[in-house]
Amino acid sequence: MKKKLPIVLYLVITYHVPTTQKKGNRRDMQETEVRSSGQVEKCTIGIEELDTQLNGGIPTGSTVLVVGSSGSGKTTLCMQYLINGAKKGERGVFFTITEPLFKLTKNIEGFKFYDKKLVETGMVNLIDLRIISERLGLDAEKYTVEDASALLDVLRDIAEELDVKRLVMDSITALCYRLQTREMIRDFIFKLGTSLAAMKCTTLLTSEVPPRTFKYSQYEIEEFISDGIIFLGDVERRGDLIRTLQIVKMRGTSHSRTKFAMNISTDRGIELLPLLKSE
Amino acid sequence: MLDGLKERIFKAAKIHQSIGIIVPMNNYSDLSEAMFSYMLDDNADIWIYLMITKSYDTMMKRFNGLAEHKNIKFIDCISRAAGITRNDKGCVYIDSPVMLEKMIIEIMHIFHECKPDVSKYLILDSISALMIYNNPETVKEFFQHLINKSRAENMHSISIVLEEELNEYMNRIIFLNDKIIKVKESFI
Repeated sequence: MKKKLPIVLYLVITYHVPTTQKKGNRRDMQETEVRSSGQVEKCTIGIEELDTQLNGGIPTGSTVLVVGSSGSGKTTLCMQYLINGAKKGERGVFFTITEPLFKLTKNIEGFKFYDKKLVETGMVNLIDLRIISERLGLDAEKYTVEDASALLDVLRDIAEELDVKRLVMDSITALCYRLQTREMIRDFIFKLGTSLAAMKCTTLLTSEVPPRTFKYSQYEIEEFISDGIIFLGDVERRGDLIRTLQIVKMRGTSHSRTKFAMNISTDRGIELLPLLKSE
Repeated sequence: MLDGLKERIFKAAKIHQSIGIIVPMNNYSDLSEAMFSYMLDDNADIWIYLMITKSYDTMMKRFNGLAEHKNIKFIDCISRAAGITRNDKGCVYIDSPVMLEKMIIEIMHIFHECKPDVSKYLILDSISALMIYNNPETVKEFFQHLINKSRAENMHSISIVLEEELNEYMNRIIFLNDKIIKVKESFI
């Protein structure tokens, strides 16, 4: 028998969610950007070069797959996206399934872009999805259709209650692993994306793939339901690995498909420069 | 003693956006001395020294008081690859001399941090050393990017090539500069 938790209980298991946080009192703080080109609202990532390549940012309400192997910078990119959004008044939520919150915060604290106050004031909410699943009484390994539906409701409730405009799921691969069929995966991502889009919430889903593969997802469904794909890879140059970033797809905006060399530093976070082509 | 060399190089660097210096191996240390002597006397401009030939540590030992000059920044591309893991305030260490894009990112970052009204100079020491670690075509592309970025950012560049190592690729690269100076004994 699955329990439906009251929203207050979801909040208890978040990391530093302030009690003053109430729906509706922060719409005035939100900054949405309406671009002149076709009046498409854009959600800036806050990484200048990437926003430029996206012609101003990700179309608001999109679901974007951030694909990469281990160590490719998926979590850093997503965290920078949330923090930069929070700095300009857009509340965000980060659902982690792959690592516990203490590890996530420990890793991210080293970056200068990270501001602990944003977490403490609830502008950035960090939630361990495994704990939510546990409290809902869901099977840790496999979800039934009902489990998936209950989880979806919880995610929607949290997003609505916190009035988030930016959501990250790290990783969708780990979540899909628990969904038993391709139909369930498709249904889950589609419904999640649709509900969040209705809330004008822009979502990044991280997708884990093995290194040096031309796959965008483990189950090869996720990319078809997503509005965009940002691929993080690497190239080998004389034995050294150089991180790369490429926008493969982004519905609703023109964008570059150039491959960029990606630098991650604790001082400046993610920086991009077109990858040198001659090899 | 090195005044003639200093004058020729820095006069040219002020006039032209990018200059290439072809130096015989025997005169490399003279050139190095002339450049550092000029930089150490110049407190008005910002200098970035991109080190592929010698490490920051080597330069520190050779030129006293270099670390105190806040207008000279170093990007050391070879120490990390050699397993040297020191950290210094005045120097950015790059993991490997093949990380050419990261070099450009770090150069641009340092220059963007500077006041806009100061003159900015980049010394690339050297293209010959970059060729050891990279594919010649990649070095050429890197250099082309660097020259274009320099022009866009109104930054001056000085690139060094060893005369004995000049080959078809290096000739093509060095001649992308606005001005070429061949170091001769008579300058010194």
